Amino acid sequence: MSLFEDIGGEAAVDAAVDIFYRKVLADDRVSEFFDTTDMEAQHAKQKAFLTMAFGGPNAYSGKDLREAHKTMSLDDGHFDAVAEDLVATLEELSVPQENIDQILSILGSVKDDVLNR
Amino acid sequence: MSNKATGSNSVADKPQALVTFENDTIALAEGESLLDGLTRTGHGIPSGCRVGVCQACMVVMSKGEPSSVCQKGLSAPQKALSYVLSCQCKPDRPVTISRLSAASQQTQGRILAKDWLNENVLRLRVKADLNYRAGQYVTLWQGEELARSYSLASVPSEDDFLEFHIKHVPGGACSPALCNELQAGDTIGIQGPLGQCFYTARPDQPLLLVGVGVGLAPLMGILKDALYKGHSGPIALIVGAAKASSFYLQQALGDLAKNYEQLTVQFIAQSVDRVIDQPTEESIDQLNSSTVLEGDLYNFCRNNYPDLKDYKVFLCGAESFVTKMRKQCFLSGAGMSDISADAFISFQ
Repeated sequence: MSLFEDIGGEAAVDAAVDIFYRKVLADDRVSEFFDTTDMEAQHAKQKAFLTMAFGGPNAYSGKDLREAHKTMSLDDGHFDAVAEDLVATLEELSVPQENIDQILSILGSVKDDVLNR
Repeated sequence: MSNKATGSNSVADKPQALVTFENDTIALAEGESLLDGLTRTGHGIPSGCRVGVCQACMVVMSKGEPSSVCQKGLSAPQKALSYVLSCQCKPDRPVTISRLSAASQQTQGRILAKDWLNENVLRLRVKADLNYRAGQYVTLWQGEELARSYSLASVPSEDDFLEFHIKHVPGGACSPALCNELQAGDTIGIQGPLGQCFYTARPDQPLLLVGVGVGLAPLMGILKDALYKGHSGPIALIVGAAKASSFYLQQALGDLAKNYEQLTVQFIAQSVDRVIDQPTEESIDQLNSSTVLEGDLYNFCRNNYPDLKDYKVFLCGAESFVTKMRKQCFLSGAGMSDISADAFISFQ
């Protein structure tokens, strides 16, 4: 069984996305990147991000991730903040540690693209 | 048309997936998606991810039964409007498909009545044949050039007219003509309906409706629609304004709250400026039946509705209000898909 199926597939994304988006909006380290007038569009992006992080079907390439983040001047601190918010979300939803570790490793694999290194 | 389905190559005992689209009829190949079929036959449909995530390829299934697969991830209002993701849609029986932009109707209306609800808000009632949902909006056309969008305050199941609350903007391009020049009997162009802010809640779900200014118009429609459909959960309507003198329909809303025990209505003004020079029985009645509080709308909502988990929220009014209140409601626990909003964009 894939990680995505293991943690509950699309339903897991739906359960996580509101909690995760609330956390990043309330996180002073990164909230400016997420605070927009078009919250629905931002919410859809969070959903796509979580689908990717959970190992689900997604159409994102490393190039897309580079393109999307390149003007934001992001550093390790921003990346870690989002990762922490995601872990807190997963813990809140009682996702097993083993799955959290798998998700963090997917996240780690796109770090260089997100930070444009 | 070269793409007309002839059936010559189809398997005879299978129902054929014929797609009617803009005067064309397209036969989908086995396993072919709607998006691929339309693209193959020269109909440009925007698309992105092709896996049902980005929603770029959304179209309307005006005839046919949308499957759950092709509506995956869509909001309740989008589903109610028969929107489908064409990349995920593989119909096995005939369907009619329209572009989102072509889904609205163009019709003519006749002005029935005009009356002022307060110094600045005109109630306009128009007779027109329009299929809409309470809370949606239309674009009103005066001649060929002049158009503005206005929310519907009427309810299609109850009212045999369209009702609009027009805020009179002196020097504006559209409202002075609507308010002063158009007379009963005149015709006006109507395009629509548009918008996805309408009643889609569970009957027992608590509802929070917050609006400023003529944001009350769509909220009136949504509120009445919910009540007429037998909504049993608690409903709170909160109307905000800078000055108490800009409130309107207080009496009607007060009466509604008396008739429906699940409904509470609250008016919040930053300043209560209503001065009664010569109090009449009627004006005193009006003041008593409408509960106007002095205060800040955002603080009022935060303090009185600190936990919006499981609420369905409707927000209507100026864009700045909708943006700020949407965030506040989301952070107070309302699910993103449970917040419906209609932001009024001002043309300057």
